[in-house]
Amino acid sequence: MVYVRKDVSTLTAGERRRFVNALLELKRRGEYDEFVRLHIDVYTADGENGLRSAHMAPSFLPWHRRFVLELERALRRVDSSVTVPYWDWTRNRKATSVPWTKDLLGGNGRRSDRQVTTGPFAYAAGHWTIKEGVTDGRFLTRDLGRAAAPIQLPTKSELQWALADPVYDVRPWNSTVRKGFRNKLEGWGSGSGSASWLNHNRVHRWVGGAMLGGASVNDPVFWMHHAFLDLQWTRWQRAHRSHRYLPAEPPGAGDAQHGRVVARHEKLPPWDETPDQLEDLSRIYRYG
Amino acid sequence: MAVGVGGVAVGAEQQATAEPVRRSRREVARGLLGSAAVLAMAPVVAASRPLPTAGPADAGAFDETYRGRRIQGVQVSDTGRTLVDGVWQITVDGRPLHLMRRADGTWLSIIDHYTSYRTPLEATRAAVDELGPHRKLRDLAPGRFGGEHSGVHTGEGGQHGVRA
Repeated sequence: MVYVRKDVSTLTAGERRRFVNALLELKRRGEYDEFVRLHIDVYTADGENGLRSAHMAPSFLPWHRRFVLELERALRRVDSSVTVPYWDWTRNRKATSVPWTKDLLGGNGRRSDRQVTTGPFAYAAGHWTIKEGVTDGRFLTRDLGRAAAPIQLPTKSELQWALADPVYDVRPWNSTVRKGFRNKLEGWGSGSGSASWLNHNRVHRWVGGAMLGGASVNDPVFWMHHAFLDLQWTRWQRAHRSHRYLPAEPPGAGDAQHGRVVARHEKLPPWDETPDQLEDLSRIYRYG
Repeated sequence: MAVGVGGVAVGAEQQATAEPVRRSRREVARGLLGSAAVLAMAPVVAASRPLPTAGPADAGAFDETYRGRRIQGVQVSDTGRTLVDGVWQITVDGRPLHLMRRADGTWLSIIDHYTSYRTPLEATRAAVDELGPHRKLRDLAPGRFGGEHSGVHTGEGGQHGVRA
């Protein structure tokens, strides 16, 4: 049965409660922290040797599609009514908007130490101690909007700029490419400073705190953010039906990217599927 | 209900076996063990070298107090891990800070994975900015990243959580 992922702003009070409770149960069982750990472990940058499966690479989108699906499967083992909602940051743009409410993810971190003190993921609530973090902080942190040097969430037109590119990705398939849907969405820009953070990257920066580091999965907004990005991939596919995941074939032995990116029909570690097999999951879920 | 994706059981929760995951996780862990081992080995490598001489390997080394934190960085060796040049050993108050290199030559830290900086020093200062006055880096010792020694990768891996 195909299930529906909804806009988080449309969830009923009961749906919000069940989503939150399923997350807390995964955390209690220790399963959630395995997701955090995996995301830390797969981060290989493109200035280093080794296969880049999850970031700075064409497989950024299928990797995270598979990752969100895995979390969703775990949530649904706890409560079969739950699906991962998406956060449309082009519409819900304020630090007080959904999902930053007490019945969902709680609000911003406090000024002194960025600790989230409201909602179900507040440290004092006792259910969300950070175990797989990059610092010794035991509490979830956020810095919504980046208080020290404020930035805005990406706009609808910035997202559209990515969606309008008909080519999925281009050589050399990394963070330096300026064309192609994948990096326009992933958001590695040129230069430094605020103009260099686009779409996906800019949202991580806007949320700040845990979401900025290697252990970004510690903030449950990670899943809502990536569900929304996953929806963009689906939209892009609909808009450009003759275009597909690239590269179709692995870069050859003489190519600097040889062995460092996942081609369409290669397995995408640590999953058993290929990007080809992950391009269409409409038999499993759809977006409402 | 098992829902296949192109013949592969993406939705088949009960069909998932532990073995492929263990293998792939070890592969992931091995890569990280490599980088963590580089950091851990760095002082040994430095100590066993001839006396350091001024040269490219020392370019950009720093040792300063920034916002009350002692930050130190030195380029220790080129193990082939990075494509551009050597590996940096960075510490904040003596605790290792993991830096990554982007293809454009800029640097990312594990504290700030979505912004890159022109030099290791800038990336380290930015990490201190993010840490704030109270939090410390977690010590990413080899045992922590080495999957063979970590319950995260082995003890529980086949039982639940992230599996293919």
